Amino acid sequence: MASETMVMPYYKVNVLTGTKAAKVIADPAEGAAIIDRAKNPLYVFGPEVIATPVGDRLLIDYALEIAKSRDIPVCATAHVKKKMLELGVKPDCTYDIIEIVHFLKDKAWSGVRGKGYHDLVLFTGVRCDLAERGLATLKHFAPHLKTFAICRRSHPNADFAVPVIVKGDKWREYLDGLVRALGVKA
Amino acid sequence: MHSKMRDAEIKAIIRAEDTWEPVGPTPMPTLTDLRNWDFRLLDTYEPFYAPFCDLCCLCTFGKCDLTGDRKGACGIDIASQQARWILICSLMGTAAHGAHGRHMIDHLIEKFGEDKKIDLGSQVNVEAPIIRTVMGLKPETLGDLRKAIEYVEREMIHLVSATHMGQEGDYRDFESKAFHAGMLDHVALEAADIAQIVGYGLPTSVADTPLVDLGWGAIDRAKPTIVVVGHNAVTANAIIDYLRKHDLYDKVEVGGLCCTAHDVTRYASGAKVIGPLSRQRFFLKAGLADVVVTDEQCVVTDIPQMAKEAGAALIACSDKICYGLENASARPAAETLREVLEEQKQFLILDPEKAAEVIVQAALALAPKRRDKKQLVTAAEGAALAAKCPGTCEACNRACPNLLPVSVGVNQARHGNFAKLGEVFMRCHGCAKCEEACVNQIPILRLMQAAATWDTYKMRSGRGPIHDVEIRKVGSPIVLGTIPGVVLFAGCSNFPGDIDDVAWLAEELARRKYIVTLSGCAAMAAAMRKDAEGKTIYEKYIPEFDAGCIVNVGSCVSNAHVVGAAIKIANIFATLPNRANFELMSDYILNRVGACGVVWGPYSQKALAIGTGAVRWGIPVVLGPHGSKYRRLFMSKKEAGDWTVVDGRTKQLVDTAEPTPEHMMLVTETKERALVTIIKQCFRRNDTPPGRAIKLNSYISAYKQVIGTLPDDLENFVRTEKEIPIVYKREVLAYLKEVGWQPKPVLSLPTIIGTYETKVPIEATIK
Repeated sequence: MASETMVMPYYKVNVLTGTKAAKVIADPAEGAAIIDRAKNPLYVFGPEVIATPVGDRLLIDYALEIAKSRDIPVCATAHVKKKMLELGVKPDCTYDIIEIVHFLKDKAWSGVRGKGYHDLVLFTGVRCDLAERGLATLKHFAPHLKTFAICRRSHPNADFAVPVIVKGDKWREYLDGLVRALGVKA
Repeated sequence: MHSKMRDAEIKAIIRAEDTWEPVGPTPMPTLTDLRNWDFRLLDTYEPFYAPFCDLCCLCTFGKCDLTGDRKGACGIDIASQQARWILICSLMGTAAHGAHGRHMIDHLIEKFGEDKKIDLGSQVNVEAPIIRTVMGLKPETLGDLRKAIEYVEREMIHLVSATHMGQEGDYRDFESKAFHAGMLDHVALEAADIAQIVGYGLPTSVADTPLVDLGWGAIDRAKPTIVVVGHNAVTANAIIDYLRKHDLYDKVEVGGLCCTAHDVTRYASGAKVIGPLSRQRFFLKAGLADVVVTDEQCVVTDIPQMAKEAGAALIACSDKICYGLENASARPAAETLREVLEEQKQFLILDPEKAAEVIVQAALALAPKRRDKKQLVTAAEGAALAAKCPGTCEACNRACPNLLPVSVGVNQARHGNFAKLGEVFMRCHGCAKCEEACVNQIPILRLMQAAATWDTYKMRSGRGPIHDVEIRKVGSPIVLGTIPGVVLFAGCSNFPGDIDDVAWLAEELARRKYIVTLSGCAAMAAAMRKDAEGKTIYEKYIPEFDAGCIVNVGSCVSNAHVVGAAIKIANIFATLPNRANFELMSDYILNRVGACGVVWGPYSQKALAIGTGAVRWGIPVVLGPHGSKYRRLFMSKKEAGDWTVVDGRTKQLVDTAEPTPEHMMLVTETKERALVTIIKQCFRRNDTPPGRAIKLNSYISAYKQVIGTLPDDLENFVRTEKEIPIVYKREVLAYLKEVGWQPKPVLSLPTIIGTYETKVPIEATIK
């Protein structure tokens, strides 16, 4: 029998690293259910959505379908807005990643559509090291919201994270599954 | 803490009786003297923390998990722990620059005596604006510069003490102390660079410094080659002296990596700049150096092993970096040289002249024997080296801290195609984590020899201080806003994208008539892009401190001259007194001088100290994505924040309703976003309507270029219709109407003096 890597010893003083890590969402249907439960979600698009192919599509095509499925407002970070406009979609707001995270940690912020704080924030396409720092900020300083990193490289500081998916076709299957579970025609 | 005795000491140190200016309210400030200023900044620009680790491992109470609202056994929370780390890291940076300055100044005092006069030439009368402002001292000699370093040392002991368990416990006070460390860092930078300018006769009062060769391809492999690595050029300059004395200057190559390269080319323009820190391993593994010389700061720690593997000699020359080597400082040079050559021993030699003799003689002796080791990996050899790559495991990708697709490059190299690996190399930091992770032990950095360009480039050597006459010329247009800003690209080579992205940013700004200054590794990287005619930005742009010009000030310690230029604008152009007047100068810079610092490739604690110090001066800082790992930024609530200032003319509080400068330290993810952010960070409340129109024109044109529309927050920065650039008038008016824009007040003398408790009277802000 293969031995497991120890995550949490009995005494917390002996823990290797932090004690709060993401729940891995291996089943896209479970991911869809998380999105469905949200009352006021937000979707943050990072610049990799416009530069990363998934099969014969771009990552942004999937991200937009997810956003459209539940009318989730989109925050375009970096220079993503330009590509979105080319695709005929206007983002709901434009901030860089650190700015939107700064606003999100403030529970009193009005939110992108003025409906108050967002209770679920989805992230796709932010470079992974930067995303992880932003997720750490929200983990510690934004207890009023949950985060879901829809990224094949996985993010331990999120509340919910996609498992590490190395193969491109598996990643496409995951995204197709998520879109399907949300009820959008692929 | 101040006491009567300490006050008397300070008066003696700064020669308070000197009449060049009356002594201001904060001579040689200690930990709490500028706390109210710091807190005022923090009220508008809240610390933003991105914890890098959820634990505190600093004392044996723990480890303690600080996640969320948990506290450590000592009571510290996650925000204060991040701020404590910031203070610790800022202190590391300040200590590195301060110790560099201390060594340089002691060495030069030993050589020339402490009464050696400071003379920065006919163009520089305000020789040390930072030391004058912070300490209240007008340094006249090397001995006075030592006083500056002694002040830094004295303050640092208190700051380090505050990081101990059970000391400081509030994040804002930790940040105030980090500001103090950053400000001390700038004192040390200025003292160190003035000392070396004076002691070594480095360029000053001249703008058109020589163009020097840059790039690993610039090294003539047929010659004996000495490579100096680090940031303290004392030994490098001694090598140059030895070569000149023995008529060897043209017969031996001296190349530098990191800031020693800047400083040695300021001393001898025939020396070569090999490149920034990110190229250390790549170059050393290529075996082109016959002798590797290390001094201090940012030297990769496994350099003795790499030198050994390359069959090169290694001499360490700093007490900060001894590598466990035998100290041969007191031994005869000939004896040491014999062991270097016959036994391949590596040594520590702290006597620069003795080290120089051993180094040069070793290079001369080793070069003929090492010719076969200077052969670079060919494409065919590269393909063979890569042959073991299965192309499937991606272990190299997962180890890469810059998230690069190394496996794709290696896998294509296996088939003789090095294009992708060449792209990876452009973004590579040279950490070799990919090699370490490779299950097939493929020497990936060596493989990159076949993929890298071996072009040479031209970089203008560092020019040191900005001239007083330049300040008189640009002071008015900068303060009025008609020169849209002064931008400093500083710091390291931990770039998120291509190594030459700094050149792209610098050129985008220069052609929009910003004054662009560069230093350190950023200044080197900016040379690594050529236009269609084969020219770098240093060949294309005038090297003056003026609109649309590009200036390389020099090494890390030369950063002081750009902060100094901002102070000089307040002091020389606006004729405000700077002596012991930190708040007055900083308030002026914050409200009236459109300056912005950029560290696009941050990695070091030194860059953190420089950036933190800049913020205390009122200069916003933009960082590349790796800067998020510093774990702290300073951000406002943008339009939702409180932007009330005092109108210096009426002494009334006025809500300006405009977030300028918008943030004091933030990270941007892409170079495109960085461009529009840098431009925005140069807005100031003091901008006149014509000046603001010029700045808005830059902002709109850049935003349209990289994001495709009018700026999404344009309404925050248009105060009156007069400020709308004519070329965009119709479009902007329609947008402003759509978003319900309202005009905002335009102030000619905005100040935050008077919005917090300070010894500085509002009257002092007006001359």
